[in-house]
This record gives sequence, structure tokens and C-alpha cells, in this order.
Amino acid sequence: MLTLDYSWLADPVYQHWLLRGTLTTLELAFASSGIAIVIGLFGALALTLRIAWLDAFVELFVEIFRNTPPLLQMLFFYFTLSTIGLSVTDPRTGLSMPLLSAFSCALISLSLFGGALCIEAFRSGLESLPRAVTEAARSLGYTRWERFRRIEMPIASRICLPALTNIMTNQFKTTSQASVITVPELMYYAGQIYNDTFRTAEVMILVLFIYVTLVSLLSWGMSLVERALAFPGYGKGH
Amino acid sequence: MPTFPLTYAEKKRVIQFAIVLAVLLWIAIDAATGGAQNWSRVWLRLPILLTGQASGWPLEGGFSLNILLGLCAMALAAVLGTFLGFGMLSKRKFIRVPSFLVMNFLRNSPWLVLLFAMLYIIPFRVNVFGVSIAIPAFVKAVIGLALPTSANFAEIIRGAVQSIHSGQWEAARSLGYMPMAIYWRVILPQALRRMIPGWMNLYALLMIATSLATVTGIQDVITTLNTLLAMENERVIVYFYITALFLFFAYCYPIAVLARRLEQSVKGDTL
Repeated sequence: MLTLDYSWLADPVYQHWLLRGTLTTLELAFASSGIAIVIGLFGALALTLRIAWLDAFVELFVEIFRNTPPLLQMLFFYFTLSTIGLSVTDPRTGLSMPLLSAFSCALISLSLFGGALCIEAFRSGLESLPRAVTEAARSLGYTRWERFRRIEMPIASRICLPALTNIMTNQFKTTSQASVITVPELMYYAGQIYNDTFRTAEVMILVLFIYVTLVSLLSWGMSLVERALAFPGYGKGH
Repeated sequence: MPTFPLTYAEKKRVIQFAIVLAVLLWIAIDAATGGAQNWSRVWLRLPILLTGQASGWPLEGGFSLNILLGLCAMALAAVLGTFLGFGMLSKRKFIRVPSFLVMNFLRNSPWLVLLFAMLYIIPFRVNVFGVSIAIPAFVKAVIGLALPTSANFAEIIRGAVQSIHSGQWEAARSLGYMPMAIYWRVILPQALRRMIPGWMNLYALLMIATSLATVTGIQDVITTLNTLLAMENERVIVYFYITALFLFFAYCYPIAVLARRLEQSVKGDTL
């Protein structure tokens, strides 16, 4: 049977690492979710404009990012952005340095990945709007932009809140993969700690519990928002 | 035969076709202006990426190992998920509540962390009746990937069963069906139709997640890729990554499209 030894947790160095890792994870998760939602809004707007070429591009973007592993996307951005030319020459050493840190590469790739999912969520939200609503807005003389901003998006965003919760928790969970490209987040520090202490099982169990707690808190918070904004007649809201 | 003017959907398809053509053209131009050398490197290594063997046979690793891993994990997840799903639908509280807790725990934990945890929690070898059996990394990867998948699997079962109109239950009960018979003869045949698109999407998601198995050290496509890249120069790396991304895309996109089509066909039947 497993015997667990958590005496290493008393060391302030490891406590500090865990804390810093958790903070970086939170930072990455919220920043990328925020950017993803913005991308999702713009994508959904682009789709409602019904311009064929824009629609085609957005759909291609969504399909590419949804159907490839985020880990591979991250590695791709990490290793190729500097090769393509995003690098600066360090004046002190004369060596070529990548312009983007591992953190920004992870942020870019996670935002794009989440953005693709958000576009899809907003699109299905907009599609589930009753036709009568848009027709009523049109007959009241709303312009295309006003209709999107004042009628369609406020309703659609409330309808697709559960999907958005899913995306945000998924985003949070995916940040753990950023450790592969050496972003100093929770998973990365976990590796550092068990390399030091050789307490692999203990460290992984603790980290698993930290992630589950944080993600559960997030989805609980989002469920409160969902309930507050619930739309009578749609989904769980009654 | 398309008539002019084209409909919106037709126009979109033409443009998408044009984009794909443009990408191909761009690759051709790139190949003509020096990229051919890089592509030939990729072409040379492609059998290794796909099968883990330079000769292409037998299948030992690479992308074929990802597919095998995905299938094994899905099979295990189907078994676990069915138990978990029906546990959550159970009327007895002492089955339902733990099932919900387990499902939520597995669904809220990151795939990578769960995989790592399984890697270190499952012992290196176990003793069964005095015989010591080594647990290979592949088995650990299957278990690590099957756990979160089974939670999603269970959710799909629960969602589909609960989406069946309550009138079906009442009608079956008033006709004198036993509870088990209601499930087998009335509810499940209808619910199964709604589960299948969800399972297909889940399989695509799992297939994408098999890329994480590289952390267990098995010779999957990313491990192979990293080994190969150690021998290549910086420029070629881009070509290799694009190839690897394309492999996953080519495998998962058709599944996603098929799932969406099925979903559309199931959508209409409420009751």
C-alpha cells in the first residue's frame, strides 16, 4: 500500500514554489480566457455579418484549432515563432534571443485555442435565438451593429453561459500543459519539487487536489453567475 | 449543378476551396524556392512519425501508437463510464452521491496532471499470487487517459437518459413494465441515439489528448517527433510541426464532422 510522506511540505521554499506556481497558473488561465472571449465575440460578430469570405476564414480557424492538440499548438508556437523572425539580438551578448517568453507563447496559443472554442459557443448561442427576436429588432429599426450589441449578444451570451463555463474550466485545465514549454506554473514547480525530494506520488496527489479545488471553485462561481443571469425558459433557469 | 448567383453556403464552400488551394500553392512556391529540401527531410522521416519504424512496418510507435492508445483508453472509459453513469442515475443515495463526487473530481482535474499522477501512483510492478508483473508505461497511459474520459462518458449517458421525456417513463410504468425493462426496452434505445454523437466527440477529444502521453515516455508521435528534431536544424522544425499537426487534424476532423451531422439528424426527435 502507498505510504505518503508530506514532511517536505513544511519547507518554506516548496511552499513558496507552490504558491508562485498557482499564481502563474491563475494568471495564465484568466488572461487567456479573457482574450479567448474577446476573440469569440469578434468571431461571432464576423459570422453574423454573413460575409462569405470572412465566414470561411473564421470557420477554418475554428476547425484547425479545435482538431489539433493544444500541447502540439503550444510547442509549435514556442519553437517556431522565434524561427519565423520574432527574435531580437541581445546587445550585451550578441546572441539572438526570442522576442516572446515561454509565458507569452503559452498565452498566445491558449488564447487562440480558447478563442476557437468561444466562437463556436457564441455561434450556437446566436443560432438558438428565436427568429422573432431578431425580426422584432429589425422592424423596430435597429441597425445591424445595434442589433448585435443590444439584442442578439446580450441574449445569446446568457444562453451560452454553460458552454462558456465549460470553456473556462477547460482553459484552466489546459494551462497545466504549458509546463511542457517551461512556463513556471503549478505543474512546472511540481516537477521541480519532486526532482528535489523524490516524493513523486505525494507531490502529484497534492497538485491534483489543488487543481481540482481551483477548477471546482471556478465552476461553482460560474454556476452562481449562471443562476443570476438565467434566462427564463432557457436551460436550467426557471 | 450550381445556379448563379451562388447561395451563401455555396459561396462559402468555393472560398474555402480557394483557401485550401492557396495554401497548397504557397507550399508549392515554398518548395520551389528552397523548401523542397526541408519537405524531403519530412518525407524521409514520415514513416517513423507514423509507425515508429523507418521501414514503416511493424507498427511500433508514432501516430499508430496514439491511435491504439486512444482505442484502448476509450474501451476502458466505456466500461468505467457506464458504471459511473448508471451510478449517477441510481435512486439510492449512497450510490448516487459518491458517483457524482467521483465524476466531478475526474472532470475537474486536468488530463495532464491526472496522467502524471497515475504514472507515479500506479506501482512499477505488482505482485499477484507471488508472481511479479511489471506494469508498462503504456498501461499507465491508458488508465490515466481513461479516467477523465470515463467521467465525460458518464455525463453523456446521464444527459441522454435525462433528456428523454418523462412521459416515456410514465407511459412505460402505466403499461406495467418493470424498472429494468423500462430502461432496456424504452429509455435506452431512445437515449442511445442521442449518446452516439457525444461519444464520437469525446473520442475525438481523447485522440487529441493522447498527445499528452508523451510524458509517460512511450514512443508516441510527439516523443518520436522530439527525438527526430534533435537531429534537424531550426528551419526544418517548422515543417515537422506542421506535419504533426496535420496528422491529428486529418484524423480528428472527419470524426468531428460526422458527429455534427449525426447530432443534426438526432436533434429533431423530441419525445
